[in-house]
Amino acid sequence: MEKPNIQIDDEIREMTDEEYQALLDSGWTADAPDTNPISDPA
Amino acid sequence: MGYPVFASGDVLNASDMNAVGLWLVKTQTIGSAVSSVTVTSAFSSSYDNYIITISGGTTSVNGSVSLQLNNSTGSTYNVAGNYGNYGINVLTYNPAAATRWNDVIYGGTVAYSGVINLVSPFATRATTGFSEGSSTGVFYKFSLIDTSTNSSTGFTFAPVSGTMTGGTIRVYGYRN
Repeated sequence: MEKPNIQIDDEIREMTDEEYQALLDSGWTADAPDTNPISDPA
Repeated sequence: MGYPVFASGDVLNASDMNAVGLWLVKTQTIGSAVSSVTVTSAFSSSYDNYIITISGGTTSVNGSVSLQLNNSTGSTYNVAGNYGNYGINVLTYNPAAATRWNDVIYGGTVAYSGVINLVSPFATRATTGFSEGSSTGVFYKFSLIDTSTNSSTGFTFAPVSGTMTGGTIRVYGYRN
């Protein structure tokens, strides 16, 4: 899967492998289904 | 001349300028399909308290957008308050502490916006504040505290899922 980009001020670059793993570990997904805020804001 | 009413050609006296309460510290345009946006050099000793606005963009997923201060990465972030759908319900939310404010605003595939007030993010004491966010049909209205006493100079917005595209982040400092 292609790693997403991150932005720091005006610089935009692809995530490093370590940054991408940390992102996945946080529970991030690229295309989660729409969140229903009635049941869970997160 | 008396602040805040100015006329064309008036001299801007120090007393008038020093009475200006809100100063634009930084403007950051959000790129395309980025999973996070970090804004550096936003907080300093020049101001104790700040307003952050984010508007004009979209997210790839309808869902929460988080906020983390750059020098505070422990499980010290609490958020609590109300959220819901306009015209339908108002609910309460009070999750356990996390390593960021996971739910400061609600991103939207059509549009979203938010305003976050932060008290003393640069000072070596806890940071408090509140956030208000609106997306299509959804609102967030939360109180915030980060109990870390670390001094932060910047912050990162990151959708809990998906990416952000477009829009502008602005940071304003309240004059001390």
